[in-house]
Amino acid sequence: MRKAGTAAGRGSGLWLQGLLCGALVTLATPTALLGGVLLLPALVVYLADDTEGRPALRAVLLFGLAASLRPLLALWAGGHSMDLSLNLLSDFATPVLAWSAQGAGWLLSQLIPLLVRLTLEAQARIDIARLRAERAKLAEEWGLPTPETDASAR
Amino acid sequence: MPTPPIKPIQPRQGGPTTIAPASAPAPLIAGRYDVDFARPRPDAGGGLPAFVASDQGEGRAGLMAVQVRPGAPARAAAFAALARLDDSRLIAPLASGGVPGPDGRAAWFVICRAPPGPALWPTGAEAIRPWSEADLIGRLLRPVAAVLASLEARGMTHRALRPGNLFLDALPGTPVVLGCAWAGPPAALQPAVFEPPYMAMCGPAARGEGVIADDVYALGVTMLALALGRLPLAGLDDEAIIRRKLELGCFQALAGEARLSPMIADLVGGMLAQDPEHRPTPALLADPAAARARRVAARPPRRAPRALDVAGLAVFDARSLAYAIARQPEQGAKLVRMGVADHWLRRVLGDTTLAGKIEEAQRIRATEGGAEDGPADARLVVRVVALLDPLAPLCWRGLALWPDAIGTALVAEPAEPATRARIEEVLAQDVVWTWAAARSEHCNPMALRQESKQQRAVLRQRGWAGGMPRLEHMLNPLLPCRSPLLAERPAARVDEFLPALEAVSGRAELRGAPPIDREVAAWLGARLDGRLDRDLTELGEAGTPAETALRQLGLLAQLQTRLKAPPLPGLASWLAQVAAPALEGWHNRAAQESRRQAVAEAVPSGNLRQLHAILGDPAGREADEKGFAAAEATVRHLDEQLARLAGGTGARMETALRLGQEVAAVLGLAALVAAILAAALA
Repeated sequence: MRKAGTAAGRGSGLWLQGLLCGALVTLATPTALLGGVLLLPALVVYLADDTEGRPALRAVLLFGLAASLRPLLALWAGGHSMDLSLNLLSDFATPVLAWSAQGAGWLLSQLIPLLVRLTLEAQARIDIARLRAERAKLAEEWGLPTPETDASAR
Repeated sequence: MPTPPIKPIQPRQGGPTTIAPASAPAPLIAGRYDVDFARPRPDAGGGLPAFVASDQGEGRAGLMAVQVRPGAPARAAAFAALARLDDSRLIAPLASGGVPGPDGRAAWFVICRAPPGPALWPTGAEAIRPWSEADLIGRLLRPVAAVLASLEARGMTHRALRPGNLFLDALPGTPVVLGCAWAGPPAALQPAVFEPPYMAMCGPAARGEGVIADDVYALGVTMLALALGRLPLAGLDDEAIIRRKLELGCFQALAGEARLSPMIADLVGGMLAQDPEHRPTPALLADPAAARARRVAARPPRRAPRALDVAGLAVFDARSLAYAIARQPEQGAKLVRMGVADHWLRRVLGDTTLAGKIEEAQRIRATEGGAEDGPADARLVVRVVALLDPLAPLCWRGLALWPDAIGTALVAEPAEPATRARIEEVLAQDVVWTWAAARSEHCNPMALRQESKQQRAVLRQRGWAGGMPRLEHMLNPLLPCRSPLLAERPAARVDEFLPALEAVSGRAELRGAPPIDREVAAWLGARLDGRLDRDLTELGEAGTPAETALRQLGLLAQLQTRLKAPPLPGLASWLAQVAAPALEGWHNRAAQESRRQAVAEAVPSGNLRQLHAILGDPAGREADEKGFAAAEATVRHLDEQLARLAGGTGARMETALRLGQEVAAVLGLAALVAAILAAALA
């Protein structure tokens, strides 16, 4: 039941997204063209990433939006025409910058978890060493069994 | 009486003794008396081996050391009672103690003055020239009676008065000297002929202190023997002598048709009266004429015209019947139960009063159990014998003894399990009361009952501090501790105990076990009069060897303090060795090591209390236990933390992924905000 509801919600969301995209293409075609081209990597991530919540998509999309803001503002300030949109796209630096920013966002979404994990593991190892030392000291002081004596006893 | 061979182990006598270390060349008794085993004194010890001794303290010679037999402890009361008796006609005890004997093994000796001359009549085997009346009275009766009066005044008896234990002075015509009678139980070496029947029927160790009248009896027999120049009833065995005395009366049995001067005959006749109450007192004997004049004319025993057959023995009078029943208790009880005895007493002997008493005993027996009830029969025999012969000793299942000889009878050697079992029954079943109540005019039944009750309580006391071993030592104040640990260094008094343990502490073979075993505990319990009973009882309770050793250390430390004993480094080392595992019980390794070091430092000082404070220390032990519990809890907590950290890799990966992506998103958002701000500002 819950699965059915979730699938239904996802289907309606997809339908809404399609409607919005359709409305955007129909009502603001130059913006749709410029945004579509500039945010193409985000679209690729959206389609390729099927992980829960698509965490990489958020970084890619946010970095893409940050890089696409200036061309979009220029489009909207220049009269919002197809010519201007194509003209902006013809400037090779514009899509490269947007796509690079999205690439950087994707890269960060992959590297930062790795760094955090390394940090956490290092901290855990330090804690283990400290606790083991503390335990060994107590065991020696009070004649308690150590993991080594336990193992040999077994 | 032949003297059994001496067994040098397990001596039985005590007194102030200094035990020298094993390496010492010449250990002294009581710290001053030296024994020269190369110079024996034959016939001087009153039946026991004797050796020349000297007082090293005062340089005094003319002493002898009488060797005590194993299982025959000396008479403790004599040492205190005769300490200040200065009478040249009596060989009184001076001291006693244990030293290596002539064979090198531990033995116990009583030190006393050596006899001035040879024994009067050492063996009694061959005839001698009869003594004149003047000699008998002047050299024997008067001086010995004076000595007996002196003993009586001190509450003592001699009980070894016989020609073999009387000594002639070097000067002719001087009074005789009474020999040593203190190195064994009373009358233990007396031949039956010198003892009244009621004493002779008991075993050598079961005769008890007796009364001074028993010494008067022995003096009477001695006088008679010297007057006749031969030993009366020579050649007869003990039982025949007793029966003859009972049947004929003692004087008649011993003197027979012999010709005696009227004076001697009258005196000896009085001294050999069956009833001790009828014999002249020593004070009276000092004046023979008065003693002769006041002689009590005892009524001769009633004799039946027809004998009663008791298990093959023909008896003609009540006392002989009592003796026969005592000797054959099962058949005797049957005779009484079936009414044969009282019928014979009433119809044949004509003693209706006695017959009535026996009938009453029968009625009591009927209420106590069925025909096959052995203990009830034995109790019947006790009552009947006491009624038929109120002078007779307690007779229980073939055992005849006086209640004050229970202690010496218990430790007599060779040990007879049957005798010990009988004595246990006597105590457990309150037989002394049964016997005393049946002859209340001859004893104090309540006092005897109270005494027996105390002995029974000790017998029933559980643990190491009670039971038969303790009773044996309690009833024999000079019985040395029988523990194998102290076999080489006997200790009879409590102040000899710690030095004895110190002396044997160097023997490696003893060090595997703690220094107090069951025998030592029982002996200590008896010697300390219950002052350490609780501690001694705890010694016997189950526990690890280390716990036991620690308890013993505590007890010995108390003893060392109470007795103001000198330092005992050897014993301290022994105890430290056996109690060493107790240190393993300490959890804290640093505390354990420091205590181990402290023990090593304390041992040479020989201070057991200090050693116990280190090894015992309940407060420190409690703190150690608490610390250990806290450490255990901490370690458990640490183990949990370690396990959590070791198993948390997956969780950390998940956290890192979530956190990293959030950070990336935040950075993206920051970039977007920065772009918006830049656009707005532009």
